[in-house]
Amino acid sequence: MSQSLVESLKEYVVKSYAMKPNRLVIEVEASKVREVFVKLAEVLGKESFYLATIEGTDLPEKKLIRIDYFINLFKHDAYLVLRAYLPRENPVVPSVIDLIPGALAGELETHDLLGVLFEGNTYLRRSFFVPEDISSKGIYPLRKDSGV
Amino acid sequence: MERVKIIRYSPWLVHFNTGACNGCDIEVLASITPHYDPERFGVRLAPSVRHGDVLVVTGVVTKKAAERLKRLYEQMPEPKFVVAVGACALSGGVFQGSYPVVGGADKVVKVDVYVPGCPPRPEAILEGIIKLLKKLEGGDGDEPKPG
Amino acid sequence: MVEATHLIEIPLTVEIPVGPQHPALHEPLLLKLHADGERVIKVDVITGYNHRGIEKLAEKNTFYRDIFIVGRVCGICNAVHANCYVRALEYLLDVDPPPRAKYLRVLAMELERLHSHMLILAVNAELAGYETLFMYLMKDREYIMKAKEILTGQRVLADYMMVGGVRRDIDEVKKSRILDIVQRVEERVKYYHKVFREDATINKRLRDAGRIKQADALAYSLVGPVARGSGVKTDARAHDKYDAYNEIPFNVITEDYGDSYARAMVRFGELYESANMVKYILTHLPQGNPVPDERKLPRRFPEGESYAIVEAPRGELTYYVSSSGGDKPYRVKIRTPSLNNIVNSAFAYVDQMIADVPIILGSFDPCISCMERAVITDLRRGVKYQIPLKMLGGVKK
Repeated sequence: MSQSLVESLKEYVVKSYAMKPNRLVIEVEASKVREVFVKLAEVLGKESFYLATIEGTDLPEKKLIRIDYFINLFKHDAYLVLRAYLPRENPVVPSVIDLIPGALAGELETHDLLGVLFEGNTYLRRSFFVPEDISSKGIYPLRKDSGV
Repeated sequence: MERVKIIRYSPWLVHFNTGACNGCDIEVLASITPHYDPERFGVRLAPSVRHGDVLVVTGVVTKKAAERLKRLYEQMPEPKFVVAVGACALSGGVFQGSYPVVGGADKVVKVDVYVPGCPPRPEAILEGIIKLLKKLEGGDGDEPKPG
Repeated sequence: MVEATHLIEIPLTVEIPVGPQHPALHEPLLLKLHADGERVIKVDVITGYNHRGIEKLAEKNTFYRDIFIVGRVCGICNAVHANCYVRALEYLLDVDPPPRAKYLRVLAMELERLHSHMLILAVNAELAGYETLFMYLMKDREYIMKAKEILTGQRVLADYMMVGGVRRDIDEVKKSRILDIVQRVEERVKYYHKVFREDATINKRLRDAGRIKQADALAYSLVGPVARGSGVKTDARAHDKYDAYNEIPFNVITEDYGDSYARAMVRFGELYESANMVKYILTHLPQGNPVPDERKLPRRFPEGESYAIVEAPRGELTYYVSSSGGDKPYRVKIRTPSLNNIVNSAFAYVDQMIADVPIILGSFDPCISCMERAVITDLRRGVKYQIPLKMLGGVKK
């Protein structure tokens, strides 16, 4: 499964490896995320996977923010992680909300907690769940230097 | 004082979750079911906060819920009492020091009875309410000591 | 009499707040309904009353202390939360718990599923206006709580999971008591199933309320009984076969129609499956010592990352744990099933009656403590109603 998937996505794959326990990780360019999702729907069929969640990690030493799309390939009993790196100063990634409406929750959350901007998502706004006194100062709680 | 006397025959509860993990909430819910038979004390859930006598607060108070808790408390008719259920409503529990958290319920409203536990058993929650009623009768809420 | 020449339609919409303190909801959640008459045209889900910053808190505490914190993400499904996190740690450490511990973990999780499903079915009945059934279901649920107490030592928050095993063992007396309780409750569940199928109130209120098509359930990333009620065959127990699920037989229950009634029927099917699994575990429990020695566990964790998945009563729950080497996790990401099911499901209320909104929300089994996050404005694309300009002002560009 993982071999054929890497093969069919090979024009986008920067690197691929396994995360414990046996989850396939495919690194892609942040600007290509949308194309990868379109390709994935072509290769696997639209009704054989769903986006489980979006996760962001702050990496201040590398001046990067890592963003992972966890995808559940439930018809194949497998899980796929799409991984992209964004510059920490200007973390912008194209939104996939029009392709996958289920990305809404993950994008809103990652925006509010980590400050990643999902270009094209008009619903983004601060203080979804971070209290006003923190969000009004422009603090993103999950950044390592947020001080909260 | 006359009105206080009436309440102790049938205190109506208003339950508000200010940021609990649901553990206390399902125990509060369990304590109003027939297995524990709260109606023998006249205890039941009020349909609206404006009919309530006792506000049962569960969970650590988050900053967002703090305003709501204050408003709910103000909307309740006098006389009114607050029972804080669970470790989080007492002190903040494991969530102490986290950024969206204010702390225990007594940071926002005056608490009359604290019920400790994580979560307290339904019997303990009912006992807390009974102690509140005893307090209204003029005692200190504790059982009289033998001898 | 003057003939009317023009029909002037006034788009009248009313904003109705439901919650955060509402008799039908036991948790803080604000649904802002925009209604045209009795018909809902748009729903804003506003939460955040329960955000406790757990992911940040987890970064500040050590790996082992976090087990107690993640158990308190949600009291109803604390065993699955702790199990998922503990397994993520075990993947990092390459530890494999003994078979008896794996069976006992599944036992605790299936008892939790039993009481959680009974709770939400009771709440469904209450929301449909059938309070007697609520009281009956809650009474029988108490026996499951007792069984859970016999197994783990606490009714609700047990902190039963440990890295490399479980916190306490079970003996023959306890085994027979739990078996007895589950057999008795199963008989009652059969009766309640019959009530749900035949009772006029339940049928009238639940049928056709909040119907979700299979394609929508997938596109909006709905999980658990909500997705299975729409015919999506997804169950992390079957996909990932964690712990002892590769040895214990069970079926994945699905229904096709996708309304609130179908979701209730999925939960009934799963109650039988869980009861059968509990009986299987109690009769096939492997020998050995399931309790690890806490002092022998490593304090520092190797560098790495792991992604654990568990099927919570409400659906797929995922934990991502990243370690940079040390005694504290670098990042813990929790994605709870309710986050997807509640936040992404705003579209399901559109076109429904106001009175059905609590029923639909109830059928999603909302666990707001699980979500601990988010405020959403979602407008299903292609809504065929006129929406006043002032309402669009609320949506930020």
